[in-house]
Amino acid sequence: MLIFDQLKKNDPHLRVITWGVLLGVLTLLAGLWWVQVFSYRHYSENQKAQSFRTVRIPPVRGKILDRGGQPLADNQPSFNLSLYLNELREQFTFQYTNRVMPEWRRANPGKGRPRGVESADLKRLARYLAASNVVQSLNGALQESLRLDWQKFHRHYQSQLALPLPILANMTPEQVARFHERFVNPPGVDIDLQPVRYYPNGSLAAHILGYLTYDDSSIEGEESFFNFRLPDYRGKVGIEAQFDADLHGRAGVKSVLVNSLGYRQSETTWEESLPGRNVVLTIDHAIQRAAEEALNSVASNTRGAVVVMDPNTGDILALVSTPAFDPNHFIPRITHEEYARLTDPKLRPQINRAMQENYAPGSIFKVVIALAALEEGLHPAQTISSPGYIYIGRRQIKDTAPPGEYNFRRAFIRSCNTYFITNGLDAGAEAIVKLGHRLHLGEKTGLLPGQETPGYFPSVATVKSSAWRDGDTANLCIGQGALSVTPLQMAVMVAAIANGGKVLWPRLVDRIEPQEAGTEPPIVFPHRPVRDNLGVKERTLTIVREAMAADVEDEEGTGRAAAVPGMRVCAKTGTAQVTDPQNRVIDHTTWFASFAPHENPRYVVVVMVESGTSGGGTCAPVARKIYEALLKMEAAKSGLAQK
Amino acid sequence: MNNLLTKDRQPRVDWLMMAALAGLMVVGVLFVYSATMVSEATIPVALHRQPWMRQIVWCVAGLVAMGMVCLIDYRILARWSLVLYGGTILLLLAVLVVGSDQGWGAKRWIVLGPFQLQPSEFAKIGFILALGNFLSRPADELRSISIFWKALIMLALPFLLIMKEPDLGSALILLPVGLTMLYVAGVPPRFINTLLGAAGVVVALILVDVLFAPPKWQIKLEDYQRRRLLVYFGIDGIPADATPKQRAEVRKEMRNYSYNVEQALISVGSGGLLGKGWCEGTQNALGYLPRSVAHNDFIFSVIAEEKGFMGSVTVVSLYSVLLFTGLRVAGQARDRLGRLLAVGVVAMFFSHVFINIGMNIRLMPVTGVPLPLLSYGGSSVLSSLIAAGLLQNIYIHRRS
Repeated sequence: MLIFDQLKKNDPHLRVITWGVLLGVLTLLAGLWWVQVFSYRHYSENQKAQSFRTVRIPPVRGKILDRGGQPLADNQPSFNLSLYLNELREQFTFQYTNRVMPEWRRANPGKGRPRGVESADLKRLARYLAASNVVQSLNGALQESLRLDWQKFHRHYQSQLALPLPILANMTPEQVARFHERFVNPPGVDIDLQPVRYYPNGSLAAHILGYLTYDDSSIEGEESFFNFRLPDYRGKVGIEAQFDADLHGRAGVKSVLVNSLGYRQSETTWEESLPGRNVVLTIDHAIQRAAEEALNSVASNTRGAVVVMDPNTGDILALVSTPAFDPNHFIPRITHEEYARLTDPKLRPQINRAMQENYAPGSIFKVVIALAALEEGLHPAQTISSPGYIYIGRRQIKDTAPPGEYNFRRAFIRSCNTYFITNGLDAGAEAIVKLGHRLHLGEKTGLLPGQETPGYFPSVATVKSSAWRDGDTANLCIGQGALSVTPLQMAVMVAAIANGGKVLWPRLVDRIEPQEAGTEPPIVFPHRPVRDNLGVKERTLTIVREAMAADVEDEEGTGRAAAVPGMRVCAKTGTAQVTDPQNRVIDHTTWFASFAPHENPRYVVVVMVESGTSGGGTCAPVARKIYEALLKMEAAKSGLAQK
Repeated sequence: MNNLLTKDRQPRVDWLMMAALAGLMVVGVLFVYSATMVSEATIPVALHRQPWMRQIVWCVAGLVAMGMVCLIDYRILARWSLVLYGGTILLLLAVLVVGSDQGWGAKRWIVLGPFQLQPSEFAKIGFILALGNFLSRPADELRSISIFWKALIMLALPFLLIMKEPDLGSALILLPVGLTMLYVAGVPPRFINTLLGAAGVVVALILVDVLFAPPKWQIKLEDYQRRRLLVYFGIDGIPADATPKQRAEVRKEMRNYSYNVEQALISVGSGGLLGKGWCEGTQNALGYLPRSVAHNDFIFSVIAEEKGFMGSVTVVSLYSVLLFTGLRVAGQARDRLGRLLAVGVVAMFFSHVFINIGMNIRLMPVTGVPLPLLSYGGSSVLSSLIAAGLLQNIYIHRRS
């Protein structure tokens, strides 16, 4: 044979060379065998991994439901029109040969063919023209004026060839219908469906729900490498943020097999996305709506808050803060105009005024003074004569109640400063502060993390120190000065009086349950044990409750605007002064803290309005509207039960 | 009469070698097609500008050149060898002056209208002819050290000029070719051993210098050459005082440079026993194997991916036939000149094949050496066929 002939020849030099060549050839063959046959699996797996593009599929987000199962945050199908570039390839070539090339020849007579960069540019143009034609042809049917963006198209072609190119998001049902009517099997265009977050009630309970922002990054425990990611959102504030991990679910993995040109060939879903869980709130959407409507009836852009709570369980039935925002506006992205409104320095719609802002409680704090004074031995029948003002040292504190004789009941319903300051000083700051501590004023309730401020309440050490004067105690007695509270804290306070002294933890989330019932057990958030006890005699509470009832029922009462036939409302109004650093009064915070019905309290309603005229004038009517709505709902419910 | 009879029995040309060459050319055209026609960019290009068509044209031109080389007795050619050698040296000098880098960062081409000439390809043949002619003197003279030195100078001149382009791969090819010819010519073994030893020490020193020496002490090597070597030896070459950011940057660059090798290896390996089929390879089509190299330096990985181990064996076998028929020609050559020329050409083919296929399976570092007759490129095809023509020439004028 050829090789052995050489080796047998008596030619030592050539024999060495032949051996060398033979050895080299065998080395190559051995190496090739090693790579191609022995390590075939290793390399073919490597290679396969390269022809796949992995795509992150966001899961369907869990809903947020009210206590009756009404969706407050839902998902709606969003119909998106997309171009499938793999189906347009023939048209790319067609445009190139029949439109781009003839024009180029006309412009460059005598020149043979476009070369290099020029040729690549012409091809880009042809692709754009083909795709743009398809988009244009849709405009008539969809009654839209869609234009294919040159930059966007080429960027997509370069980097995401295997994925559809979205051209119209959120099609209306009519557009979807018209599209299907006009185009039976259109080349290169199709409608795909994506679930998108949707708040069916607009701005209802916006502060509780929070909103989402665009974020398609992987969370812990998810696959982190993707060639492409589909749009996804993350909760930013409110329940959406607090329970984001539960609501969000787990992203799935889809892989797109690309053919030898990078176009999509087939799709496989490796891992189904795991839908998020539903969060069920204690909120009642009807009460929430009634409370929002009532608060908004004060004026346009009312800055205020309403808390409706069950005094027996601590369940929050409604938590309103106005002005609110519409969380729908954050999807897909918030506009500049919306953002400007959200950051308005006066309206501050992002602030949850029910919990996130501190206010002086004003006269509604007289409830606490009343408890302290009665516990320290004040007899409710004992009277004080008020000249219409009171001097503390050299400082005169004016009284809105007219001069005259005041017993406890009259002083309470006329909100007599002289009476409460005198008896508050008698009871002593320490007794008042201790009571406030049992109400956990100056502490957070933990209802919505990131949306709550603790407020301020002085400690026993502070009031015992030499820096604490009678004037400070006097301020405390009328709910001004060294304390600030949130409407939510006031609701807890009123609830304690209504329920016999139990200071409750407010509760907002009832349970977390799977989207498909029965697939996994729900996680229930039980009512937490009572946070604290007021530690006052039942008789004291009865006296205060009677006075609160009288505040609404008595002709003289400040809260009579809240009177509702068929339900005995018990309340205390408040009008707190807002002062600037020079101690001048610049504004008023008006309050209405109430519960009802008197005999068997089921609701606590606290209303707060910034820049109101007075608690009785501004807030009491708001509370009345809420109670009326509550009565109507109860009637409807019992009517339904009777049927 | 006797003469006539032998002429009848002995064919005029080595048909076995011709068959191997034809086979290689067919394979070359087929896979240049496969490597380039899958790209959308090439499809609308005119026929005469499509790479596979151009490759056919070059093959035909090469065959014509081959025939012309066969027409003139190699002994007459050898007489003009110094002129040819001088001519190629001039071309190499010209490339340094008027050369074009074709966007590669190395001046290797002279642009002649629609063609790009790569003088280093022809310099190899000029060198073989000249050295063969020089060493074909009486064996006694080869013992003299001055002859040996002169031979070394003949080697060093094109070597340094090609290194200057820079084209490390083409320059390195000259070393085994020259050594083989010196050995077969009968230069005393001690000379060769000393040369080999010296070359080994020099190469080792260069490597150590390039890989480990502080920047100030390193010989000037193009950045990409240094990186290729670093990649091959798996050294990251990060100075000890580099900041984490610099470190990350160097690593990224290294990854990019090792990318070609990695992808070539994946191409070859994923071909398996039988391959994915002609034009079905995805590595090249999807651009993992960069399109700029798939049809020339890395053509073998395209063949190996699409035709598998069987394809690789076929290619290696075709080259083996070429190499061993070449050695047979050397054995049958009528004089020392023919023998030396044949050995030189075989050494040249072998070096190309071994380095190129070796780099596809990471046996060799990446150097820009074409695979004779398979890689796309006019200069390479032309010079390969001229070299084969030289073998045929020697065969035609073999001793009877």
